[in-house]
Amino acid sequence: MGESLEFLRTLMNDPFGFLDIPVRQIITDIVNWIVANFRDFSRTYISPPVRGVMNSVQWALSSIPPGIFLIGIFLLGWWAASWRIAVFSIVSFALIGFMGVWDQMIITLSLVVTAVFFCILFGLPLGILSSRSDRFYAILRPILDIMQTTPPFVYLVPAVMLFSIGNVPGLIATIVFAMPPVIRLTNLGIRQVNSEFIEAAVAFGSSRRQILWKVQFPLALPTIMAGLNQTIMLSLSMVVIAAIIGAGGLGLEVYAGLERLNIGQAFVGGIGIVLLAMVLDRLTQGLGEKAPGVRHKAD
Amino acid sequence: MIRAENVSKIFGSDPESALPLLKQGKSKDEIREETGQTVGVNNASFDIEPGEVFAIMGLSGCGKSTLIRCVNRIIDPTAGSIFFKDPEHGEQDITTLNAEQLRILRKRHMSMVFQHFALFPHRTVLSNASYGLEIQGRSNDERELRGQQVLDMVGLGQWGHAYPSELSGGMQQRVGLARALATEAEVLLMDEPFSALDPLIKVDMQQELKKIQRELQRTVLFITHDLDEAMRIGDHIAIMEEGRIVQIGSPEQILVNPRTDYVAKFVEHADPTGVITAGTIALPFESDAFESSGERDGIRYSHHRDHPQIRYGRDRDGRLRGVTIDDREVPMQQLEQVLDAAEGAEVSRLRDEVAITCSEETVLRRVLRGRLHSTLPVIVTTGDGRARGLIDDPELINGILEKRGHTA
Repeated sequence: MGESLEFLRTLMNDPFGFLDIPVRQIITDIVNWIVANFRDFSRTYISPPVRGVMNSVQWALSSIPPGIFLIGIFLLGWWAASWRIAVFSIVSFALIGFMGVWDQMIITLSLVVTAVFFCILFGLPLGILSSRSDRFYAILRPILDIMQTTPPFVYLVPAVMLFSIGNVPGLIATIVFAMPPVIRLTNLGIRQVNSEFIEAAVAFGSSRRQILWKVQFPLALPTIMAGLNQTIMLSLSMVVIAAIIGAGGLGLEVYAGLERLNIGQAFVGGIGIVLLAMVLDRLTQGLGEKAPGVRHKAD
Repeated sequence: MIRAENVSKIFGSDPESALPLLKQGKSKDEIREETGQTVGVNNASFDIEPGEVFAIMGLSGCGKSTLIRCVNRIIDPTAGSIFFKDPEHGEQDITTLNAEQLRILRKRHMSMVFQHFALFPHRTVLSNASYGLEIQGRSNDERELRGQQVLDMVGLGQWGHAYPSELSGGMQQRVGLARALATEAEVLLMDEPFSALDPLIKVDMQQELKKIQRELQRTVLFITHDLDEAMRIGDHIAIMEEGRIVQIGSPEQILVNPRTDYVAKFVEHADPTGVITAGTIALPFESDAFESSGERDGIRYSHHRDHPQIRYGRDRDGRLRGVTIDDREVPMQQLEQVLDAAEGAEVSRLRDEVAITCSEETVLRRVLRGRLHSTLPVIVTTGDGRARGLIDDPELINGILEKRGHTA
């Protein structure tokens, strides 16, 4: 009697003493195993294309003379959105230049463009597959949750171990973190297309592929663009974190400023990121509203 | 052209379980109670002739939209066969087609018009109208040409570059119709195409459809919940109740001879004047209401008991040879001429003494209009020119009120 009472007391006070799950050890082992076995693979097959795209984008962007760049961004704003946004865009970019961080901005913009490129490259097909198969999406969903909610600091170390330091691990971490919205919103956009349009397409003998490209995809485009907008924002939010493992640009400006307690330098980098984010946000939103599916929907 | 045999559609987790109960003739509610399955269509059979408009009429939930979708297999029927006869392949059972054959059927032989138009909002009117052609794989030029052609046909030639949302409901459905006509499919499936339109636009569209149909002679399966619409448009009408087809017939047959109380209840509120024909209500010369009033020059005269002064002379072949009042010859005129002459003119209280003749197929409304211009009964003639009978006030009133004719 007294013995079992004693047992109950221990159980209530310290129920976790009975079992020790060695998660730390398990994860360490798994990561070590992955690094040992996939390091060569990732450095030969993943790094070069990512670095290649990044370098090409950076080369292209930095070869545009800043003055032409400013005019270009103004015209782009005008075409994609309105003259207000055009003015806002050119003023923001000019400010970045006047603050003396133009080159860093070009690097950051290249990082974002590269990350977004890979997010679309993989996210769009995955989103389309998700919309067509409930089972596929059921499997993918928890993975997306993990990608979005795991604090990036957690996978920075394995990323460095696999890809060494520099832009590439930063890009990989950014792609992992920023891809889910494209997948989710592509899936949502396609599923949300009114069934009457699908029925009409079917009634005229369309194949599944024709239904996808002629009806579902164009009608889902505004939603997909909203996902793309989120992806761009998320990848910008990663640039500072990526700087910790050696990515350059405005993020590095912030990180370096903090390290040297140079608050001014950190703020210049921060303001640059905010301005870039706002311009990219307005431009992609403008593009989203230009998508054919939204056209004339208002009236 | 299209023949459905015992088509049934049951919705639910185990549709097959309800089939034996359907065969036993159990009702929708009984089957739902026993098996948990919902009956959409219950043993529907019909036969649609090439070039006719076949209307299926019923209230919402009666299964008519399900039935029309079984025809192009947007919904797969649970049991039964639907035969489609086209000049190239002869008769084939639609329910046995595989996915590829089905797409060919939909691309080339059947097109569809929807209740809520279902125009693609991201495409221009022209590109909506030519959607089916795009799926058929026609060239750009061909699509544009044919798309413009069908838009012209529905009176929207100027609107090709507009977007659907810039158009009114009636115009949008014209585009829907154009899209369905563009593929030159022999069969047009129309699922309550005019139900979402304003009443005036609706009548316009019905006339438009009739006009186009006169030119193109497609085979049309037309779904509606509006009996008047079914009667105006349909050459034959099937009436559905709880998944079952309860009666099939010409509009007049259904109006004059409703088979069940359900049909009768519908018919009660229908406007008979556009459906009932002169042949149905005419009082035949052979009936005992007529008495002989002698023979002269090979022409036999007879008169109605109640009006012995009006005599109708017919020759041996039964053709009308003259009408007299108190031995005075009265002029004869065809109804069409009377109505044409009167068009636009004010209606006079003074009516002429003229013997108006009309064919058996003339609808009641026109006979009534004709009666405005003459004090005499209207004489009904058959297709081969024989005088068949008379329409006087009692016949007209009976036609409007009771909708039942005299049978000779």
